Amino acid sequence: MTPSTFIRWFDEINRSDVGDVGGKCASLGELTRMGIRVPPGFAITTAAYARYRETGRLPDEVRDELARAYAELERRCGPGNPVVAVRSSAIGEDAADASFAGQQETFLWRRGMEDVAAHVVRCWDSLFSPQAVAYRVNRVTSSETPQMSVAVQQMVDADVAGVLFTLSPATGDRSVIAINAAWGLGEGVVGGHITPDEYWVDKVSMRLKSRTVVDKPRQVKPDRANGGTANVDVPPEQRAQACLSDLEALELAQLGKVVEQHYGSPQDVEWAIAGGVLYVLQSRPETVWTQRQRSQTQTTTPSAVDFVLRTMGARPPSSSASS
Amino acid sequence: MSQRFPSPFDIDTPPGAEGWQEMYPRAWLFSEEMRSYEENKFWFYSGMHYPEPLPPLDLLVPEAGDIALGASNSRVFLTPAALGIDHRILNGYVYISGNAVSDPHHIERRADEFARRAGHYYSNWRELDRAWVNKIKATIADTQAIAVPSLPEVEPDAMVFAGASGTSVRLVEAWHRTVEAMHRGWQLHFEMMLLGYGAYMSFQQFCRGAFPEIEDQTVARMVAGLDSIIFRPDDELKRLAARAVELGLADLFIVPRQVNDLLDALNGTPAGQEWLADLEDAKEPWFNFSTGDGFYHSHASWVDDLSLPVTALRGYVERLTRGEDLSRPTATLRAERDRLTTEYRALLPSEADQTTFDSLLGLVRTVFPHVEEHKFYVEHWFNTVFRQKVREFGDLFVEHGFLRDRDDIFVLRNTEIADALIELISAWAAGGPTRGTVFWPAQAARRREILRTLRDWAPPPALGPLPDEIADPVLMMLWGITPERLREWTTPSDGHQLRGFAASPGVVEGVARVVRSVDAIDSLQSGEILVCQITAPSWAPIFPKISAAVSDIGGIMSHAAIVSREYGLPAVVGTGLATKIIKTGQRIRVDGNRGVVDILDSAATGPG
Repeated sequence: MTPSTFIRWFDEINRSDVGDVGGKCASLGELTRMGIRVPPGFAITTAAYARYRETGRLPDEVRDELARAYAELERRCGPGNPVVAVRSSAIGEDAADASFAGQQETFLWRRGMEDVAAHVVRCWDSLFSPQAVAYRVNRVTSSETPQMSVAVQQMVDADVAGVLFTLSPATGDRSVIAINAAWGLGEGVVGGHITPDEYWVDKVSMRLKSRTVVDKPRQVKPDRANGGTANVDVPPEQRAQACLSDLEALELAQLGKVVEQHYGSPQDVEWAIAGGVLYVLQSRPETVWTQRQRSQTQTTTPSAVDFVLRTMGARPPSSSASS
Repeated sequence: MSQRFPSPFDIDTPPGAEGWQEMYPRAWLFSEEMRSYEENKFWFYSGMHYPEPLPPLDLLVPEAGDIALGASNSRVFLTPAALGIDHRILNGYVYISGNAVSDPHHIERRADEFARRAGHYYSNWRELDRAWVNKIKATIADTQAIAVPSLPEVEPDAMVFAGASGTSVRLVEAWHRTVEAMHRGWQLHFEMMLLGYGAYMSFQQFCRGAFPEIEDQTVARMVAGLDSIIFRPDDELKRLAARAVELGLADLFIVPRQVNDLLDALNGTPAGQEWLADLEDAKEPWFNFSTGDGFYHSHASWVDDLSLPVTALRGYVERLTRGEDLSRPTATLRAERDRLTTEYRALLPSEADQTTFDSLLGLVRTVFPHVEEHKFYVEHWFNTVFRQKVREFGDLFVEHGFLRDRDDIFVLRNTEIADALIELISAWAAGGPTRGTVFWPAQAARRREILRTLRDWAPPPALGPLPDEIADPVLMMLWGITPERLREWTTPSDGHQLRGFAASPGVVEGVARVVRSVDAIDSLQSGEILVCQITAPSWAPIFPKISAAVSDIGGIMSHAAIVSREYGLPAVVGTGLATKIIKTGQRIRVDGNRGVVDILDSAATGPG
């Protein structure tokens, strides 16, 4: 394969490449290189976007490289135009800021070189939506030239998908892994408009702590005719069924544990299962509890005896002397 | 306090048990004089330790025990907010209620004293524990050494010419010393035990603070000792089984026969004699092990009735001849304990937290062996020796026609025995007849009838007003009383699901075997799920046979919980009602992860 200027495959990327390929692609690269099953794909670098800004149209050299990469993706995925997701990959902003800054554009179930190229351009253009521009105008950093990378990734037609948190969303307990799962693509769970089944796993013993199965009348499925996705009915016999087996829940938890250990901090992980195969689509650091916990962490270390005495209602001599 | 359990004053005596109150001391009865106090207090059934109607003399244990427990909190260590416990008996069943300190100034003053005194124990634990073991062993030896002389036709020359105490004086003294030994033994029981639990609970609290959803059994597994002497009696059986196989005696064990026939057969061969010598070595002290929890005289100790250890031995010999490995998987358990500890430690958010975790775990692992081991020394060994001594008095009464059976002494109150002894000595001295030979046998027969009647009565789990909150960790730990448990007790069950403590992980479906008393253990078939009222550690030999355990009463540190974790069996303890709802032969599912037992069918093939 000839080296590309504008394309970086996920298996060539790691965390340190975040400046060229954005947070999302860097994370996908990192996961891929860890040996985790991530659907194959590539990043279109910030350099490509810079050329687009200069010329105002998709530059030929970028188009050529994109076409070559898409063909290579077909080689990797099997015959036929691969179906892909085209997503923006934010540069230098945290996730909340990125959505305002127009760096969270996502186009699902795209197929064929022309379709893909058109949606890459739409990702780029989203940086100049009125909302994104207004946002940047109000920022101190707005003088900087906006940058963007785009992820093009094979899309799996998920039977079941969702997110998992490597801590308890209820209490922040880090010995818990919480899995949300629903039929079809994960966008419904991520977007919050589908109530998922919930599985809680003990991270240390790797035992299922609880399983809450709910009625799931709707699911997100690919719109094969027009591209993109559609909300459709779940077949009646499937609605009340648990969408994960206990074994699958444990497999997911194990995966969450591995990812967390790799990053050294709690993660939230998007995942999908297609044809019985488990894929990771995304992993981000968990922020809510991680920040709260940081402020609560104890800084003094009482002796064990003092701790016990205090728990039993006593004021240990050493601490009453110092107070 | 919207909800109430029944008032103790609204509960009737079951027909046929009239007069049961005479079996117990005045202070243990609900009374009109104390009604306003007693009716407004929350009492719960102490079924974990006393699941059956209490024979009068067996009351000495909770009497001495509650004095020692109470004084330890209220007068010795000055536990800041907790005093002792009140106890009452209703229709033969024990109820208890905790007393607390509420005045904040009072609590504060006690807190300083507590820190000084308890701190001394925590800081010098190992040394004090060594001294403790010596003290309890000395108490056991002293109890054993109490001489219970028989009444001679004629006092011997030695007494006369030495001007020594007569037999009557020595008998009175012997009874008083026996009662005194009980108080001494049980004071030792509580010398360090509550502090040990306190340390454990502090560690548990730390873990819950860091991991709000951590399961109690996980904390227990990080702490539990793997070489605790509480496992030793069972280990001795395994060792003796291996020895029997080694000496070529396996066949003698495998053919079912009476214990005495087995012993005779063994005595007939040199190899058998060698094995019997080994058995004698193991007996002291390891067979001073109650077939129950050590709280009832009827739960014989191994040393007094070899049939239970011999039954277990037979099972072990069979398994050894099939080539099975009987050893406890201590290496696996140790590795698992280390893995748990390491992983939880790594999940703590700061180095300071990790340091506290390390030092707390270190302290708890130092003190917790005492919490596990005191049970062997006091509940099993000391209580066995105490009862052997009491039975010597029983023999004396039988010899003189005051009782028909030596164990009848246990249906008399302590003070009645003192009375009977005086009557007996008086008649011996007077040389005339006595009412005692008519009165006491009749009294014992009537008592046995009352106790039998009371066995069929179902004690309510609690009495009086439901407290707004139960936050006493000792009540939770020793008696399994939590707010959830109270809620379940007040909510009628639908009959298909029971909830309790998740005591040991795993999920198993199987056939239930309701075992109401230790005598019925033999009926248990391999692979069945044990459903019992109490969770008694000396049932250990049956744990290899069962696939799961369910109990009515017990907490996360109850013995069945500990032994189930040891054997890797799912267990749900403290369900309150399992033996009353589940029938032998029903298929049930025991979920030891969630603490739930489901009854899967209603078919029962055997007596419930």
